[in-house]
Amino acid sequence: MTVDEPVKTTKTDETDWINKIWNFLTSLKLIVILLLILSALSIAGTIIEQNKPLQEYYRFYQPGTVALFTKLGLFDMYHSWWFVACLSLLALNITACTMDRYRGIMAGMRKKNLILDEKLSKSLQNLTTIRYALPLDAVEKKMVELAGKGFSGKHVVTPAEDGGSHYFFEKGKYSRLAFFMTHLSILIIFLGALVGSFFGYKGYVNIFEGEMVSQLGTRAGKIQKLNFQVKCNTFHAEFYPSGAPMDYRSDLSIVQNGKEVIRKTIRVNDPLTFEGVTFYQSSYGGQPDQVAIEVVNRDGSVKGTVTAPFGQKVDIPGVADKIGIADYQEHLRMPDGSEGGRAVDVHIFPEKGGEVEAWLLLDHPEYDKQRGSDTYFRVKDLKLKKYTGLQVNKDPGEILVWLGSILLIAGIMIAFFMSHKKLWISIRTDNKGRSELTIGGTANKNRNAFAREMEHMIQSLKEVS
Amino acid sequence: MTNSLLFGIATFVYFFAMVLYVSYLAFRSEMLGKVASLSMLGGVVVETAAIGMRWYESYQMGIGRAPLTNLYESLAFFAWTFALIYLVLERKFKIRTVGAFVAPFPFLIMAYASLNPNDIQPLVPALKSNWLISHVVTCFVGYAAFAVSFGVSFLYLFKARSEKRSPKSAGSFWDFLPSSAALDEIGYKTIAIGFPLLTIGIVTGAFWANVAWGTYWSWDPKETWSLIVWLIYAAYLHARITRGWRGKRAAILSIVGFAATIFCYLGVNLILSGLHSYGG
Repeated sequence: MTVDEPVKTTKTDETDWINKIWNFLTSLKLIVILLLILSALSIAGTIIEQNKPLQEYYRFYQPGTVALFTKLGLFDMYHSWWFVACLSLLALNITACTMDRYRGIMAGMRKKNLILDEKLSKSLQNLTTIRYALPLDAVEKKMVELAGKGFSGKHVVTPAEDGGSHYFFEKGKYSRLAFFMTHLSILIIFLGALVGSFFGYKGYVNIFEGEMVSQLGTRAGKIQKLNFQVKCNTFHAEFYPSGAPMDYRSDLSIVQNGKEVIRKTIRVNDPLTFEGVTFYQSSYGGQPDQVAIEVVNRDGSVKGTVTAPFGQKVDIPGVADKIGIADYQEHLRMPDGSEGGRAVDVHIFPEKGGEVEAWLLLDHPEYDKQRGSDTYFRVKDLKLKKYTGLQVNKDPGEILVWLGSILLIAGIMIAFFMSHKKLWISIRTDNKGRSELTIGGTANKNRNAFAREMEHMIQSLKEVS
Repeated sequence: MTNSLLFGIATFVYFFAMVLYVSYLAFRSEMLGKVASLSMLGGVVVETAAIGMRWYESYQMGIGRAPLTNLYESLAFFAWTFALIYLVLERKFKIRTVGAFVAPFPFLIMAYASLNPNDIQPLVPALKSNWLISHVVTCFVGYAAFAVSFGVSFLYLFKARSEKRSPKSAGSFWDFLPSSAALDEIGYKTIAIGFPLLTIGIVTGAFWANVAWGTYWSWDPKETWSLIVWLIYAAYLHARITRGWRGKRAAILSIVGFAATIFCYLGVNLILSGLHSYGG
């Protein structure tokens, strides 16, 4: 650089600062501490349950604590500004380190020092000289064959002034690139996550059997319109005899411009993707379409029957009260924790007094008797409208995440299990007419294993006759 | 059922192996050491048969699934992986003396497993996936490698202290163990085996989660803890490049890493709740 003296001093001051920041960003200490801080913060997020409704937090914590934690973002800490700041610092750190190491890594891959000269010889720990009574070309031929076994790459021969030759072998040159693979992969994964959060959405939709939807509610609380319609043809849930779930499946159709484009039965672990939007089997449920309820006297005689459509109040025959169907459950959990089976939730609106809630169990028709009123109810007939609950996901960043993951795994494998090995062999005829071979090598990683490999090769070379 | 009987025998053989490894260290007889390794191998062979039998029996019951899906099965599989990986590393790095510190694990894990219900239950829909085996196996082999590194690092701390105190105490108990430099190196190499496997385990898990739940990462406690483990070992690997962090600090990080691993494996299921609560 040609810079005038006075300018230089001010520049040095500035570069000094830049150097300091640069050294901080590329220091190993920063990365180690950052990784440990990130793990400590993540622990906090597993102890405090994340993204629960506020009222649940009030059950566990004092109101003051809840207010404080909300302010600090501790209830959604993985998206809090300070967690994101740590991740950003990590990304910055990775970027800086990659830039810092770029030149050195590229230089390490360049072919230089092709000749086993005096300076190089001094730096090699395993330098060995072997002398043979064989002619030079015989030794040369054997040597190339032996060395070629461990160093499969193309070797470079440089003729020497004394009539001999310098051989340079290498292997695993590109393993030096593993650094870029492992570090850039993390940035690619971050980028994928960012793309997903900006250009994708996650949502949820319930579709009744035989019905169609063309929009859904996202987790962010927005309505997302689709360019097509999704129809649920049928939904099935199967259970093991123990009651544990065996299979959930929905027969879905994608309808575009009034035509069915795709039809597929989705299951848990087997979703349907159309135009980048994926539909996952997530839950299911039923809503009573119409329930026929018998009004029974305590002596067991039937007083009358009422048919109630879901959500409407209807008069109960012979009684002044009204009744409405509020809910339905496939597997009702009883107050004592046992399984109640299919159950209809009815609200009874007496002429005087407040509304009463009761569960009518389909498998235990006399259950409502325990309410102790003059008449009790039992379900006579239930017309159920089943629906499938689908998780919907559009994530254009996903492909980057997988790309980054594969790059990461490949990079780690290469970084741990491969090294850049270099081997130099010089051969010449010495002043007594013998063939003389000098060998030495280095590896950038796993030097103990390389030393054994070298020992082995030197031994085989000694045995050449 | 035959599989339970075989698991019982395997537990007993692991116990025997543990006693032998400890006596090997106490009496320092090469013969005892060989028998210790052989009995550990015997335990692995019996347990392999037990796992195979359980798999076969599940087919006979009309369920037909890999025996990797509840706490009992996962513990049994962990003990098996642990013993197997330990034997491989013992052979590779010649660390039989470490056995006394590592060999108790398979027995203890099996003993703990036996306290859990061991009937073969059919799979819930979320677990019916081809990713099950690759995800579980890579994670567990990774855990096992970390466990061996833990044993070695633990030993390193004692050995380094005794070397500092009396550099030339020929014939002492500590002399029988590998040098602290060798232990440091082995501690690193075992993590170098475990780390790529854990990475694959996390990635296959993310891929599976994406297929099953529609999201590759949801900060579920299990996911988060596996990330914590990954971050700690990533810190270890970076720390070890700097000279000042080799030896004692690296050994401590390896021990902390394994503590996090155990929490990730058991603590999350037993204490925290989340999507992964199959074992609890």
